[in-house]
Amino acid sequence: MNLRRLLPAVLVGVAIGVLIFLLRMTQSVDSELHLQRLDNLQALNTLDVQFNRVLTQAHVAALMTEGDERAVLTDQLGDALDKLDTGKQSLHGLSPELDQALDQFLDTIRDKVLLGLDFQARTTQANQRLLNSASSVPVKVDAAVAAATPAVRAKAKNLGEQLKAQVVDLSVTPSPTNQSDIHAMVDALDQLGAGQPAAYKDAMVQLRYAAADVIQDKEELVGTLRKFLDRPTGPQLQKVEQQYSAWYATQVATAGKYRLALVAYAAVLLGVLGWLGLRLRSSYRDLDRANAGLTRANETLEAQVESRTHDLSAALTDLRSSQAQLVQSEKMASLGQMVAGVAHEINTPLGYARSNTEIVRNSLADVRGLCAAQQKALSLLAAPDASEAEIAAAMDEAEAQRQSVSPEELMGDLHGLLQDTDHGLGQISELVSSLKDFSRLDRSRNDLFGVNDGIDSALKICQNQFKGRVEVIKQYGELPQIECSPSQLNQVFLNLFTNAAQAIEGNGRIYVHTLVEAGGVGVRILDTGCGMSEDVRSRIFEPFFTTKPVGKGTGLGLSIVFRIIEEHGGRIDVRSTPGKGSEFVIHLPLRQKRSAETAQEAVPVAA
Amino acid sequence: MNAPAAKARVLFVDDEPRVLTTMRMLFRAHYEVYFAESGTQALELLRKQPVDVVVSDQRMPGMSGIELLRAARDLNPNAMRILLTGYSDLNAIIGSINEGEIFRFVNKPWSNEDLSTTVARAVTAARVSAAVAVRSGETVAAAPIGPLPAVLVMDDDERVPAQIQAILGKECRVFGATTMSEAVDLLEREHIGVVISDTRVQDHPVVNLISTLKQHHPELVSVILTERADAGAAIDLINQGQIYRFITKPIIDNACKITVNSALKQHERLKESPELHQRYEVAQTPEPPPPTSGSGRLLDRIRSLRSWVTRRA
Repeated sequence: MNLRRLLPAVLVGVAIGVLIFLLRMTQSVDSELHLQRLDNLQALNTLDVQFNRVLTQAHVAALMTEGDERAVLTDQLGDALDKLDTGKQSLHGLSPELDQALDQFLDTIRDKVLLGLDFQARTTQANQRLLNSASSVPVKVDAAVAAATPAVRAKAKNLGEQLKAQVVDLSVTPSPTNQSDIHAMVDALDQLGAGQPAAYKDAMVQLRYAAADVIQDKEELVGTLRKFLDRPTGPQLQKVEQQYSAWYATQVATAGKYRLALVAYAAVLLGVLGWLGLRLRSSYRDLDRANAGLTRANETLEAQVESRTHDLSAALTDLRSSQAQLVQSEKMASLGQMVAGVAHEINTPLGYARSNTEIVRNSLADVRGLCAAQQKALSLLAAPDASEAEIAAAMDEAEAQRQSVSPEELMGDLHGLLQDTDHGLGQISELVSSLKDFSRLDRSRNDLFGVNDGIDSALKICQNQFKGRVEVIKQYGELPQIECSPSQLNQVFLNLFTNAAQAIEGNGRIYVHTLVEAGGVGVRILDTGCGMSEDVRSRIFEPFFTTKPVGKGTGLGLSIVFRIIEEHGGRIDVRSTPGKGSEFVIHLPLRQKRSAETAQEAVPVAA
Repeated sequence: MNAPAAKARVLFVDDEPRVLTTMRMLFRAHYEVYFAESGTQALELLRKQPVDVVVSDQRMPGMSGIELLRAARDLNPNAMRILLTGYSDLNAIIGSINEGEIFRFVNKPWSNEDLSTTVARAVTAARVSAAVAVRSGETVAAAPIGPLPAVLVMDDDERVPAQIQAILGKECRVFGATTMSEAVDLLEREHIGVVISDTRVQDHPVVNLISTLKQHHPELVSVILTERADAGAAIDLINQGQIYRFITKPIIDNACKITVNSALKQHERLKESPELHQRYEVAQTPEPPPPTSGSGRLLDRIRSLRSWVTRRA
């Protein structure tokens, strides 16, 4: 029963659980977060490019703002990296490939930022040197031009001016040809040196060194920058983005699958709901039909009730009459049983009393003969004319008679027989008077009656059922006489004693205890019989309930007891222990409640 | 009286000792008397000392008279059994017939004369059958010659004979009669061994018929089959008709078959040992049969059956 109630609840719970799971799985793709992440990646890319630009420009113009801008950029870059590394928008822990790419990128960009911090110090020095070497070049050119012979001076000056321009170009906006041009011009100036004063040559040597310094410094600067710019942040960031996009694509695909499942599941649920709905509808239809039937039945109910009532009252009348018949037959049955017992009880003493009388009568003939013989002998002795022979014959005759009769023995026997006869007659008269008490044909319930006497006469009548095996132990209180129907109460006691005797198999005892109670008297009848189970005990006062075999009891005895006690305004309780015995406790009120008519009837009776 | 050793032994059982005192006074002169106040005591005594007659009360604490007589029959089958009782219900009476196979049912209060006569008859029967028992130990009983004796069923209901024929099978012939004269006709014509009868046929009690049959044809065995069982009628039937069994309707096939077969055997036994007839001697009908139309004539016919039987034999 519990399982049947539990099962639907469990099913509904499981269905809702599955639904929630599927819904969550489909919503695992957060497109806003995805956009934020993409923005972040985009911003990182931009910042990286800006960073590159700033550093690239740094060596060109040592602007005052350059430091500030870089600091701002570094901060922004840091923020973007933090977002990437930790927090809600982090790309960590999404997929192993992504983690690897991300770690690589983060390492690289951190190195790059560190490099960027180092960069300034190094470029400032190199720039200074470049400025120095670049500014020494014109001095050396001018010195060389000044030392040049006038023949070549103009040419040298021209070359010198070009060289200056080339050096400025190289240091500020280098072009691929700058270096070779500078070398070519220095070489050209050197060629002009043939036939030139030593000062020119010295100046040329210095110029050559200065130009080499400028180129070297410039190369160092460019190398540093390249080293910075060569950090593969761009591709790595791209790889991160690719990996992230790949992960996101799988997420989207999974979510799609779950969405499909959700749709299917929803369809199934809808189907189930539809089926339930159909069932509900059909149930409703049945209910409607039943309801309609009920309404119809209701309409005819009154007529049916009337006819049923009629039938029932007829049945009740039948029942009442058959109950009365049954009660009567129970009475007859118990009467029959009682008569059987009483007949035996009376016939036995009657039998031996009658037989004894007969024996005594027959013996009296012998005694009479003996008396006659002795009388004859005595009268002969007294008679003067009697002969000796006659007297002797008479004496012999009397002696012979005496010996055959043996009067001492006979008198003893006769005495015994007559005593037995007396006893038997006494028993009979006792029984007959009990019967007389017992069968008081009273219909009213207002005779004054001693309950102890009633119990005694019932016990006497039951005696043949007790004889030799059941010991009755009486403990009577001094009871006041109570108003009751004596014959009915006698029947109560007789029924209870008969039941007790039947409950006792073999030998046992019945205790009868009477006592005065508030407003009435109490009778307790306890037997040491077989007792009864709780089931039997609860039903013993029901009509027709019997534990005796079919045909042995009507099952009405105790129900009659119950009814009689109830009609007397008393009550009867029973306690029993199987195998130990039963106890019936009766309470009877001192006076009967009388209705007006019985009170009126009672007056003449009392008078 | 003869020598004391020849005195018959009679056991009286009653839970009222005064009855036993009376019995002692009545019978001590003629018999060797024994007394017991209960069934158990009586059986103890019987085990030590076989007796010729047991006279027992029915209602006794502990063991009833029927139980005692049944046990006594097993212990000492030749002893005759008499139930002396103040009141017995029908079941007790039927039990005493079927289980106790009693000789007489004597009601309390009893007449000393009748009781003496009954006991005397029982003693004679017991002595004769004891002699037969000794003799039958010596001679091997010859197998019955000729056809099995037939069964006569007297019942108002014509279906009963057919039912009994069906129960007994084909080897046993069953004749049905719905009136007494029909029954006597059949008795004249056929070799009948067992009579099965209701207590009343055509509203006439059969007790006189059964009684006369038993008086004149002691080897006939009668069984009462009835649904109108009545204690008084049953007592008359045992005392005056020496009915062998008393069974009640509805018929229980197996029990009925056993009863009838045992009745047929009883018939064979009685035919072979006429001395045994005394065991089943009936009490004289206290009053002459009522002068109902034709009934006296019927009984005369039954008496004359004897000559027919002897002629046939």
